[in-house]
Amino acid sequence: MKMIGAAIDEIYSVLAQMVSSLFRHGLPLTDKIAARTALTNFVLHIHPVRVRRSWIRMSYTLCLGGLSFFLFIVLTVTGLYLMFYYVPATSHAYQDMRDLQFVVTFGGVIRNMHRWAAHAMVITVWLHMARVFLTGAYKKPREFNWAIGTFLLLITLLLSFSGYLLPWDQLSIWAVTVGTNMAKYAPIAGPYTRYLMLGGRAVGDATLLRFYVAHVVGLPLIGFLLMVVHFWRVRKDGFSGGL
Amino acid sequence: MATGARERLDARDRVEARRRGLSEPPLQLRDDSEDEMIVSFPEFVFKEFIAMVAMTVFLLVVSIWLQAPLLGKANPAMTPNPSKAPWYFLGLQELLARFPPLMAGVAFPTFVIVLMILVPYLDRNPSRRPSERKLAIFLFALYAVITVGLVLVGTFFRGHEFNFDWGWVLGNES
Ligand code: HEM
Repeated sequence: MKMIGAAIDEIYSVLAQMVSSLFRHGLPLTDKIAARTALTNFVLHIHPVRVRRSWIRMSYTLCLGGLSFFLFIVLTVTGLYLMFYYVPATSHAYQDMRDLQFVVTFGGVIRNMHRWAAHAMVITVWLHMARVFLTGAYKKPREFNWAIGTFLLLITLLLSFSGYLLPWDQLSIWAVTVGTNMAKYAPIAGPYTRYLMLGGRAVGDATLLRFYVAHVVGLPLIGFLLMVVHFWRVRKDGFSGGL
Repeated sequence: MATGARERLDARDRVEARRRGLSEPPLQLRDDSEDEMIVSFPEFVFKEFIAMVAMTVFLLVVSIWLQAPLLGKANPAMTPNPSKAPWYFLGLQELLARFPPLMAGVAFPTFVIVLMILVPYLDRNPSRRPSERKLAIFLFALYAVITVGLVLVGTFFRGHEFNFDWGWVLGNES
């Protein structure tokens, strides 16, 4: 009996050690511990430790910046799932999409989530920009963060646009044909830009591969780096808060 | 707090902001006793968490009910009519249908992007109070109405050959 009791105690203390090693702090029972929690926990350290109550009023940010970032994460996770099944070649892409829709476990829901989250992100980013404008939050000292934001808006649009081609259905190639036709009109560089984007004169195999690489590596990487700097600046410039 | 004291605080705040060359705080400084400093964890983080959960549930529900479009396999030999860009570029496509391509497709978007980056330097007004930035807010509203308007027109009222089509509004779908 005694042995069993001791063994249980031992197991309990090992488990407790495992759990407590996950966090570098205890439960946030007092303000002091809570503050230390925010400083020592990775997820929390991107927040200021102390804020004024009015800064975090939901009616000021409407959570739009945060939601844009969250959608970016949702898109990354669902996108990775899709990558397991999708081959960026004109001979495979469309069939892979149909398989995702009808065969792959949860494929349809994940694909839908990826698609709708992408649309939602265009909307939340735009509304976030509107919020920043209407609260005058771009004024000194946040001018530069507004410029970074402008590029984030462009990246968001380009990400969405490059993803549009990937299902390789009638909607995608013609939307991309129309879209890239716009590039053609730039003086001198126009036709070359279009050629560069398409990897040829018309939307084809090379285009699909280019858009795929841009969509899953290039643009998300640039977007992520811009976001890191964006958040850094929000912290260092001080949040404009309290309207 | 008495109004007098609040106004004094407010004035001090603006002077301070001017001195540091920063834009001014948006509204009257609140009574600090009502607007205490709090530790952002867990209250603030919890609010964010709620927003994330709400968004996840919303996306899941939408995704279960609403199927993302998948048309027939791409066929370079068959151009659908009308061919439309994704909705967020329909404003641009709308402009292309109206103005010379060099202007609508290149000059105009470039202009908008550059203008947008320059906004903080062009807006010389240090105030962040809505009542003191009527012009800026009016201009933004104008921009928003035009952008959203063009997208809506492109999405719903452009049919065959990207010509105007009021069919589904007037009820005589052709
Ligand atoms: C992928 C896109 C973006 C993400 C993930 C993002 C994220 C954020 C977050 C989390 C904040 C903190 C406050 C809040 O939630 O509102 C913020 C603030 C800010 N954002 Fe963005 N943002 C994005 C795009 C933009 C765009 C398009 C603009 C403007 C052109 C912009 C300009 C700003 C500025 C100036 C601030 C500081 C606001 C203040 O102090 O009140 N951001 N952003």
